[in-house]
Amino acid sequence: MRSSFAYKPRRAPLQDASPGAAVAYLGAIVCVAFLYLNPLVLLAAGAAAALAGVLAGARAAVRAALKMGLSLALLVTVVNALATSRGETVVARLGDWPLLGRVDVTLEAIVAGLSYGLVAAVSIVAAAVYSACVDPDRVLRALRPLAGRSALTATLVSRLVPVAAADAARLRDAATLRGPGAAPVGKAPLARRLLAGSLDRAVDVAATLELRGYSLDTLRAGNRRRRSRYDRRSRYDRRFYAIAAVVLAAAIAGKLAGADDFQAYPTVDIGFGPATIAVAAVVALSGLAPLRRGPNRQIQPADGTKRLSRGDKSSRRRLGVDRSARRRGVARV
Amino acid sequence: MSELAIRRGAAPALAVEGLSYSYPSASTRGRDGTAKRALANVSLEVAPGEFVLLAGRSASGKSTLLKAACGLVPHFHGGEIEGEVRVADFDALAAGPGELAAAVGYLAQDPETQVVSTTVAAEIELPLEMRGDAPADRARAVEEVALALAIPHLLDRAVDTLSGGELQRVALAAALVSRPRLILLDEPTSQLDPVAGDELIWLLRRLNEEWGVAVLLAEHRLERCLAAADRVVAMESGAIAFDGEPSDFLRWSHENDAALSTPAARLFSLAGLTPLPVGVRDARQTLRGTGIAHPPHIASRRMRDPRPTEPVLEAKGLWVELDRGEDVRDVLRGIDLELRPGERVALMGRNGAGKSTLLRGAAGLHEPVAGKLSVGSIALLTQNPSDYLVRERVGDELPGDEGSAALRVVGLEHAIDADPRDLSGGERQRLALAIALAGRMEGEQLPSVVALDEPTRGMDRARKEDLVALIEQLAGGVDFLSHSESKATRPAAVVVATHDVEFAAAFAERVVLLGEGVVIADGPMGEILSGGWYFATEVARVLDLPEVVTPEQGAAVLREELG
Repeated sequence: MRSSFAYKPRRAPLQDASPGAAVAYLGAIVCVAFLYLNPLVLLAAGAAAALAGVLAGARAAVRAALKMGLSLALLVTVVNALATSRGETVVARLGDWPLLGRVDVTLEAIVAGLSYGLVAAVSIVAAAVYSACVDPDRVLRALRPLAGRSALTATLVSRLVPVAAADAARLRDAATLRGPGAAPVGKAPLARRLLAGSLDRAVDVAATLELRGYSLDTLRAGNRRRRSRYDRRSRYDRRFYAIAAVVLAAAIAGKLAGADDFQAYPTVDIGFGPATIAVAAVVALSGLAPLRRGPNRQIQPADGTKRLSRGDKSSRRRLGVDRSARRRGVARV
Repeated sequence: MSELAIRRGAAPALAVEGLSYSYPSASTRGRDGTAKRALANVSLEVAPGEFVLLAGRSASGKSTLLKAACGLVPHFHGGEIEGEVRVADFDALAAGPGELAAAVGYLAQDPETQVVSTTVAAEIELPLEMRGDAPADRARAVEEVALALAIPHLLDRAVDTLSGGELQRVALAAALVSRPRLILLDEPTSQLDPVAGDELIWLLRRLNEEWGVAVLLAEHRLERCLAAADRVVAMESGAIAFDGEPSDFLRWSHENDAALSTPAARLFSLAGLTPLPVGVRDARQTLRGTGIAHPPHIASRRMRDPRPTEPVLEAKGLWVELDRGEDVRDVLRGIDLELRPGERVALMGRNGAGKSTLLRGAAGLHEPVAGKLSVGSIALLTQNPSDYLVRERVGDELPGDEGSAALRVVGLEHAIDADPRDLSGGERQRLALAIALAGRMEGEQLPSVVALDEPTRGMDRARKEDLVALIEQLAGGVDFLSHSESKATRPAAVVVATHDVEFAAAFAERVVLLGEGVVIADGPMGEILSGGWYFATEVARVLDLPEVVTPEQGAAVLREELG
């Protein structure tokens, strides 16, 4: 099964943009998250990253990243609430705990933890959008003249990760299919088998790289650095660079103007002044950058197979498929 | 020699002289510790624009010869080598695979490990980029090769969204993009369905004719490609045993190694007809010459009534959907199927038709989203038997009485102390099957259903015959355990997902044909495998008679007609 975070080519502005433009744009959103602790601005940055992903067609990646990011934010909040007793508004007295001593949960610690957690969540969502929307081949090609060996390693790893994941899934299936009379597969033999298989796969991939000429030290190597048709500059590059610049400028100016007006201790004080609202608005609106006229076009399989997205009820109706009705009819003996 | 001379065909595309080679690995050493020779004094020349078929049993040296021709042997694998290999005037023993890539392309069996980029366009462009070609040249070459292989619509796709056939074409495009004079292919159709396999062979023939690319193709299913070849080279124990035209090869194989013969040649040989045909067209022409162009139709036998036993697998309106990240696809769409004890069933269909999903669903790996599935005990062997082998001793994989019983069923009780890695490919497959069977037998009775998913990939005919015998034993419930106190008497229903129509004709009594997740045909093997073009045996395509699919059946009809 493909990972939700795997790159998927689409004819959409963010995918079409050069890696530099995409990194500048998503990096600007992440910078905002690291510059600010004001929850309003952080929420705006999270919304921008998620909106950018959705508009770029990476709904599944955004969904998965939100799950991960919000789980992490919750964990950070809980840990901070238990570990920090600062703050004046006690919401729960949990008595004496081993190692932690007396634990008083305060509203201020919860809000501060939530704020730190939001920083992590925004970073995760932005990273997920990058992973799903930026072609790793173009990134590697851009890096190759700068660091050839690193690019080779990255190529091998980027290819081997999905192959190893597929191998692991197959091995898990085979372990499930072993008869109850066969020796159970422990984690150690399975891991050993996966490692041995991965090494074999790595040898195969390395052989393919040899055959493709990766080891060549050609006299015309200068041409390697020149853009190919597939590394073309995008007409959207300017848009992403400009929006990244605007977001960064607004964030820095806002910071200097006191837009990051947030204080957790001793009592919570969240600023909602004009500067904060303005920065939050600029950051949130930056999420519209991947918008294009007309619907995003996903490159369809050539075999004519109809792939349904989970929410595509009209397609299901056209095909006469009522999933909920079918689920009700499931029986396994 | 100049590039122009090479392009004009003055130099051979491949010239091998006195080549001997041994792999460095300990696993290829004999009991006395000396390295076994994978190639022994091989001499071979392939002319520019020639289409050469490399035949031979498993481990006869075909793959090693191909690897020597593209420089992987010895540059990548190491080992000891003697002799001379020249590829379009490159000295392959001095030049590495990267330098040879300008003159030779290589395509291996498994397309999964032959792609290293994320998108198709980047994958095809990579060899040119590595060679230092200018961007404009790269763009043109990618476009041209994509057009030649009919894949321009795939250029923007991610490689991990492609089917096996598409991936194999992309790997072929990457091998051809630098316009090599020679292309080497190691069983490229073994993972493809008959449609994709035939398409690939005829694509090679077209490239061979229009681009003048010399082709050296190693294959087990010779009936698929013999008619496209100009010449056949047969290998045996690392040496060349035959080198000549396809028609001469058929005579040679008939006399020296019947396992390399094609079904049409066996048909003619059994019927006493000559010359042996290299393909369907050839066979039909010969039959027209003998006045039996249209043999009489024999009466169609009806599928026998269902066995008077309860089904051991019953699927009614079965729907299974697979979630691939952002896409949810219905892979099985309302399947109705019953299997009864003792039935031998071939499950066929194109790549992606739902064969594996049906077997995996029956084994509990996929939950149906609708419908009813009732199955007794089932043992499933998936496409990679090695996935089942995780320990270093057969007895450690299968301990106790249940393990011993399973080993007896597959005839491996003698190998209990062996390391699975030392077993032959066929034995490893049997061991994996024993692992799936162990504990699923009631006492020493077989499970209700034994399912095998694509068990013949990369197998030569001799190994396929062994597998047919095992399937017959499983379905017959015969006396596997004759030397033990109890005997297996309950037959299992054996269902095999396969692309190999000749193998299906050899073992199956019933064929279920799937298309896009639905059963599009279900009937007696003879009826299904004689009623089409792609899912039909070579004999069926030659004679075009209902229920005549094997050389033996066809020969009986021809002998009757010839009087």
